[in-house]
This record gives sequence, C-alpha cells and structure tokens, in this order.
Amino acid sequence: MGQIDVLQGTLDMLILKAVSLGPLHGYGVLLRIQQISGDQLEIQQGSLYPALYRLEHQGWLASDWGESDNNRRAKFYRLTAQGKRRLNAELERWNRMSDLMANILSTRPEEL
Amino acid sequence: MSLRSRLRSFTSSLFHRAELDSNMEAEFRFHFDKYVEHLTQSGIAPEEARRRARLELGSLATQKENCRRSLGLRLWDELVADVRFGARMLRKSPAFAAIAILSLALGIGVNTTIFTLAKSVLLDRLEVSHPEDLRILTWVSGKKFPMESLWGNYSDEGGASHSSSFSYPVYKALRERTSLFQPLFAFKDISQMTATVDGHAESISGELVSGNFYEGMRIRPIFGRGISPTDDVEGKANVAVISDAFWARRFARSPSAIGKSIEINLLPVTIVGVNPPTFIGAQMSRLPEVFMPLAAQPTVLPRGKAGNLLKDPNNWWLQIMGRVDSREASDAARQSALDLPFVQAVKSGVTIKAGRDDLPHIRVLPGRRGSDYEKSEFIKPIYVLIVLSVFVLLIACANLANLLLARSAARQREMSVRVAMGASRMRVLRQVTTESLLLSLTGGVGGVILGYSSRNLLPHLISTPWEDGRLQTRFDLYVILFTLGLSVITGLLLSIPLALQGRREDVSSGLKEGGRGSAARSHNFTNKALVIFQLSVSLVLLFGAGLFLKTLSNLRAAPIGFQPDRVLVFEIDPPRSRYTPEAALTLHKRILDTIAAVPGVQSASLSSDPLVALDSSINQFQRNDRPKDAKAQAWFNAVGTNFFETLQIPILAGRSFNSSDILTSPKVAIINQKLAHKFFPGENPIGKTFNEEKYEIVGVCGDTKYEDLKSDAPATFFVPYTQSFESNVTYEIRTLAPSAEILKSLQQAVATVDKDLPLIHARTQNEQIDATLSNQRIFALLTSAFGVLALILACIGIYGIMAYTVTRRTNEIGIRMALGAPRTKVLRMILREASTLTIIGVIIGIAASLFLARLVSTMLYGLKPSDPTALSSAAVILVAIALLAGWIPARRASRVDPMDALRHE
Repeated sequence: MGQIDVLQGTLDMLILKAVSLGPLHGYGVLLRIQQISGDQLEIQQGSLYPALYRLEHQGWLASDWGESDNNRRAKFYRLTAQGKRRLNAELERWNRMSDLMANILSTRPEEL
Repeated sequence: MSLRSRLRSFTSSLFHRAELDSNMEAEFRFHFDKYVEHLTQSGIAPEEARRRARLELGSLATQKENCRRSLGLRLWDELVADVRFGARMLRKSPAFAAIAILSLALGIGVNTTIFTLAKSVLLDRLEVSHPEDLRILTWVSGKKFPMESLWGNYSDEGGASHSSSFSYPVYKALRERTSLFQPLFAFKDISQMTATVDGHAESISGELVSGNFYEGMRIRPIFGRGISPTDDVEGKANVAVISDAFWARRFARSPSAIGKSIEINLLPVTIVGVNPPTFIGAQMSRLPEVFMPLAAQPTVLPRGKAGNLLKDPNNWWLQIMGRVDSREASDAARQSALDLPFVQAVKSGVTIKAGRDDLPHIRVLPGRRGSDYEKSEFIKPIYVLIVLSVFVLLIACANLANLLLARSAARQREMSVRVAMGASRMRVLRQVTTESLLLSLTGGVGGVILGYSSRNLLPHLISTPWEDGRLQTRFDLYVILFTLGLSVITGLLLSIPLALQGRREDVSSGLKEGGRGSAARSHNFTNKALVIFQLSVSLVLLFGAGLFLKTLSNLRAAPIGFQPDRVLVFEIDPPRSRYTPEAALTLHKRILDTIAAVPGVQSASLSSDPLVALDSSINQFQRNDRPKDAKAQAWFNAVGTNFFETLQIPILAGRSFNSSDILTSPKVAIINQKLAHKFFPGENPIGKTFNEEKYEIVGVCGDTKYEDLKSDAPATFFVPYTQSFESNVTYEIRTLAPSAEILKSLQQAVATVDKDLPLIHARTQNEQIDATLSNQRIFALLTSAFGVLALILACIGIYGIMAYTVTRRTNEIGIRMALGAPRTKVLRMILREASTLTIIGVIIGIAASLFLARLVSTMLYGLKPSDPTALSSAAVILVAIALLAGWIPARRASRVDPMDALRHE
C-alpha cells in the first residue's frame, strides 16, 4: 500500500491534533503523525516548519526550548487554549464536511 | 486568531532578527540530525542518509525564507531588500542622486513654506482650550453705513455693510439678555499705546478686555493672575496683564514684575500677571503686549467726543465673543435669540443715519480663530502662492521623471532579466516605486529643513518692517505630516511614467543588446510629453512673472500727485490723559516749529492720515447752496499749514492754508480737482461752502493718491488740523538731503517739547509706499524666480531629449550625409523636431496662461490679464531659449563624420 499526501488544507489540523496529545518538537510532530496514520500519511518535510511558524504566529501554538531524549536542545511546541478551541472548531467542521461528503458520494440512483 | 500574539511575534521577529535566525537554524539542525539518525538506524549508510535528508528538507536558506514568510515577514523582507538595492543604485550614481534629491527638496520645501503660511491664514486656531466652542458676533445692515462713528473693521460686500464692532451699551444689553453664552465677553485691540517702564518710553500694542475675558478664553496666566470682573469697574485702580514677550524683554522674566507700577499712556498701571507664551490675544495676527480691563478706556485711552466710550451708544468699537456649549443649541438659534435684544438695544440708543431697512442684524460666526478679518485680505494671495508652488513641484517632478526614464532605459536589461527570471510585473513595479519613494522621502527631509529655515521668510516679506508681526506661523506636526504626505504623493507620481513604460516593455527585445525596438520609441514619447509639459508650465510661470512685474512697474510709475523723495514720516500720538484736544493742537504747533528749525529740514507738516498707507477717512459732503443729499460722501484729511508745500502738491486755484487759519478764524477747506469736477462741474468752487461746519473753499489742489497706489485719486477735501482736533497725527518732514541721521536730531527736537513722546513708526515716504506693494513685490519676485527655474529645467529637458534623439539617429544621419545631404539640412531636421516640441508646449502654455490669468485679474494694475506684451515676450523668451538648447545637439548632429556614423552601432 503506497503512502498518500496530506490533503490540501488539513496539515494545520493534523499538527494541532498531534501537539494536543502532548508537547512535541518539530521532528516529533512528523513522527507522531506518521505513527498515528500507520505510516500511510507522508508529510513534505519542507512544508512542516512554515506551518509550525504560522500556527505559532497566529497564537494557536506556543513553544519553549527544552531537552530532547538524547539531551539535545530542541524547540517543543504545545497547544494553547486558543489552539484548543481552534482544533475543536476545525474538528467539528471536518466531521460535518466528511459526513456530508460521505452521504453525497454514497448516493445511489434509486434514492433520488 | 489573536491580534496581540501576531503583533508580538511580528515585532519580536523584526527587532530580534539575529535571535530568530539562530533559533531557526538550531531547530532545523536538530531536525536534520534526528532524521539522519533515524535513517541510519533503518540501515541506510550515513553518507546516503545525509544526502536524502538534505534533499527532502531542502536548503537551510529556503526553509528560513519560507518560515519568515509564514510569519508575515515577506513584504518586510522584500521592502528591506528593495530599499537596500535602491540605496545602492543611488550611491552608484551620486550626481544623479544629488540632482534628484536637491530638486525634490526644493520643490517640496517651497510647498512646505507656502503650506506653513497657508495654514496660519486658513487653518490655525487660537491656542486656548476648546477654540471650537468660541463664537464671534458680527452685524450686517443695508447698503449705507448706518452708524455715526465706527472704530474698527468694516466692509461693504454684496450691497451690505458688515462689521464686528459694537458699542459698549449694546454689549451690556446683550450680556444681560442672554444665557446662551457662558460667558459673552468683549475686547478691543489697541494698535498703539505708549508704555513707560523705569523712565524709558516705547510704543507697544495692547488689548482692552472685559472682566470675564480670561474666564471666557480659559486663559490661565503663567504667573500672577488674570483680569477679573472686579478689575473691570470704572474708577478702580488700573491693572494690567503683560505678555510673555514683554515680560522677557522689559523685566528679563523677573518675578518682581508682578505688583510693579508702569505707565501706560503716562498713567500708572499695576502689573498683576503674565500671559502664557502661546496666547497672543484674540486675534491671529497681532501681538498685543499689555492687557487691561475695558474700564481703563476713559482714563488711559480717551476717545470720541466725551472721551468715554463706555457710555457712548453712537461709537461702535468693541468686539464681542462668546463661549458656547455646542450641544445646547445651534448657531441659528443663538442668532435669532440675540437679534431681538440687539435691535432693541440699537434702537434705544443710536441715531441710525439711514432708513428703517438699514437696521443692523446680528450674526453668530465661528470664533475659533478669534477676530479674523485679515483672512479675507490674505486668502487670494495665498491661493495664488499655493498654485505657484505646486507648479514648481510639478516641474521638478517632470524633470526628475525624465531623468529616471533615461536611467530606466539604461536599466532596461536589468528589468528584463528580472521579468525573465520570473519576477511578476507587480514585483518589478514595486521595486521601481520603492526607489522613487526613497528619492522623494529623502527630498522630503530636505524639504522639511528648507521649509523650517524659511518659515518666517514670507511673513517677513509680507509684513511692514516698522509694525509688529502681522502673520504668525507655526511650524508644527501638521506641517511635518503635510510634507510627508506630499513626499509620498511625489514618489508615486514619479513612478507613474516608469510603470507605464514597464507595462509596454517586451522582455525579449529588452534582453537584446541596446533594445531599439518599439519600447525605445514609446519611451521617447513619454519623454517628449514630459518636456512639452515642462515647457507649458514654464510659459505659465514666465507669463505670470511678466504680469506681476508689469503690475509692479505700472504701480511704481503711476503718478501719485506728490513728491515722495526726501520725505520722512512718523506718527506722534499725544496721550489724551495729558493733552486735551486743545492742548494737543498747541503741542503739534510747537513740535512743527521746533522741527522746522532743525538743520537739514526743508519744511515740515502733518496730516491726520498718512498718504499711501492703507489709511483713509471718509466724511459726508453737503453743498450748502444745494438741497441735502444724504448719500454724498468725500474723502478728507486734516493737514498742516505747510502740507501742500512739503509734499509739493500744486495749488491750481485760490490759495494754500496759512498761519491765519486758526481755531477761531472762519473754517476753510481746499478741495482737489477730482472733487471740484464731481461736485462743482462747470462752476468755480472757490468761495462756496459745504457741510454743517460751513467750510469755505479757498483753494483747489492737484489730485493725489490717498489710500493706495491701485485706486485712482479719490475726491478729497483738506481742512487745516488747527480747526479739526485730530490728536493722533502723522508728520511729514522734507529734508534737504536724503539722510538717516536726521532722524536722531528730530527725536531730540521732539524730546525738548515733551520727553515722553516717542516717534512712532518712523520711515521714509518711499518706504511707506513700497510697503503697500508687498503683495505685488512677492508675486513678482516668486513668479520670476520660479519662472527662471522652470526655464532652466525645461532647457535641460529639451537638451536631454534632443541629445538622445541625435545619438539614436547617428547611424541614419550618417547614411543621409553619405548620400549627400548637406549639413544645414541635417541641422534643420534636428531643429525642426525641437521646435515642434517647443511650439506644442507654447500653445498649451498660452491656453493655460489665459485661463489662469483671469483668476488673478484683480491683483493686476494697468494691464489686462491677457496682456499681449507679457504673453508674447514670455513666448519669445521660451522659444529662443528652447531652440538654443536644441541647437547644441543639432549642431553636433550636423558635424557627424559620415564614416564614423556608419560604423557607429
């Protein structure tokens, strides 16, 4: 089974979700998304950091410098209260959208 | 999204750029190492792992740039890069940068100076708290001037009389009858009084104010106290508040000034306070130095028949202002509430001269600028100055745009490379705009410096040297903001031709060497349009210079009817507190006799109004042998016995005044020719009598200019001062030789009569006449200077474009000459192009000139706004200079060696 690219516009949501499970450094975010998706999602490494910086700029993420597992300094991202609200709103929107899409896509001729 | 967090991250990334950079680097390094570690763990060779990581992550620089972009820093980064690049380009051509910035600084500086002046005339407010809540009262009545006596400003526009002067009884009645003002207060500017501090007398200006003036204006003295209602009681000891400038000049800011007794018009007055330096009285353009209660008028400044104006309903002199609560009522409501009590107060006290229709009615006007009748005087000259200065800036812009276009032709390749490499048109345009803005803002800084250093130049040119400053300008934040705005507009204006040109540019032709395709031709077109524009504006300015110069010389050459050379004039104002009207007559007689004996004095005289000094008096003129005509009026002047001899005004019939015309002898008058023609057509006026006083006409004199040079000599009658009780008079002294030292002897001579009488506003009669020409002189000066500047810039423009044409066509010219075209033909060919441009420019310029000149027609004298001499000489000068500028490159073209030209690529 091949990997699929991240759907346009969903990277922010994925990052927020990944970070909501616990503070992570950039590489950790990458790993966690891949891990949760069972290695099916491929995130372009080049687009990760601009997204992280944008989310922090918008106040949804906050960051601190801390020690990583092998005692190196790393920048850890965590979700802010504002980010949490944003994630919930995004999730609700996503759920409504995917329900709607599922409904539309599963429509059969005789149901019309 | 929180604005605050965004702002914080934005500013921190702007101001801690280095920190942000190193943090980013550390983060990417960490990521990179982690990834490599991960890859090697899964069995990939370290070398290969690093290669793959580098490939997937991209370069550090790209990552950083992308991250900065997501922080919203992209525009900023590009702006910084553009500014840096622009600055480097300018540094590379310092001559161009110097010319560009200098001409912009000149253009913007001129506008800043004019704006500072315009702001003070049109926009500035009194420096008191909430000036917008102030109102000033004026009245308007029918065509005929209704009051018996008015001391103050008065105008008759549109068939109605306007004035802001009221009588004291009317002010009192209004104050009692209205609650719409908190409070209604009154004041009067006194242009001249004598202040004596520690035995040293000087002539100053002052203001009489009602007891509630300080409350109404909300002025708090910086030292001592203001004038209070308890001071404004007749018979009380006189007190005064002095201006900050007077405090500094006469008391060196010593606190002991408070409580000190000085003399105003030789009467003791106690200083009780010092005004803040920002407060310059209730007028924008005067600088009163001593403020006293109105109650001091009868003693300190006696005036009118009884000397006391406070009880006189027939003398209108007081200005009234009020502070209102703007939420409470409208000005219309205030006006209608005040009008009835006003009309009643007028009717109860005043003898109105004319019919019922001429009863005055009140008007409530904005008072944020206080009493502001100078505005109407300056408003038109200001508009003309604004137009002139905008023209100068436009010419500077056109010239610079031309230079920029020439430069951009040289940089065409660079631009094409940018576009070819993927820069959007917008991006290239933005860079061009940044560069023009960089130029214009630097020019703007120069403009601010220029404007600041010349902020007092125009007010100085406008004001008369022997009077206190008439126009106060403030160089404040608004001026800086105006200049900033103007610089930005200029920068955008400059980039327009470049943008237009960039739009047409074709990348592939731009990349080719030289780029001589269609782009070059269209560039040339914009260039030509700019030169034509310059030429036409130059013509407008030259024509304006011609009009104003001719006006000035017409005014100077206008026959004035008297001989002003070697005549000194000064005023003497004997205080009524020391001299009764009768005593003043004796005093003037003694002063005249003393002065006449001073060596070097040929003859001495005096008059109630100085000639050509914007002063005049009007009186009724009723022939005693004809039925009464209430409307008949004539100008008059009370003069000394030697007046006609001193000013060398010819007596055409009858006799001059002589020493036998005294107070007790029959009243006599001398009329001028104009009056004789007007009131005695075809008759001999000698021996006729007029007016209640039964003046007998004993002589007819030549016509003289009276108020100013512009107006024709009015119908005037002269009476001897010995029969008219004028106390404040102007002396005219004819000296044997032009000399400044004689003034000192005159001063000493007057001091022997009364040591407390200063010679006020001493000047020569010619200086006096010149002062009335200040507006015309400024316009002549500025239009000439601007016109010459414009001409020079236009010449550079036309030279530049012709030189460019010649270079571009060298090859063609070579072919023509190789085929046998004579040099003169080549010369003519190039000159024809230059003259086409010039003629188009001249035609547009003439049309614009004729249109604009109509707007200044009232400011001209002795010529029409379409004056053909001024117009044709402007056109001839412009054509001649432009052709000369075009002739230099044309001659170069005609000297081209065909062999060289053919090789030339």
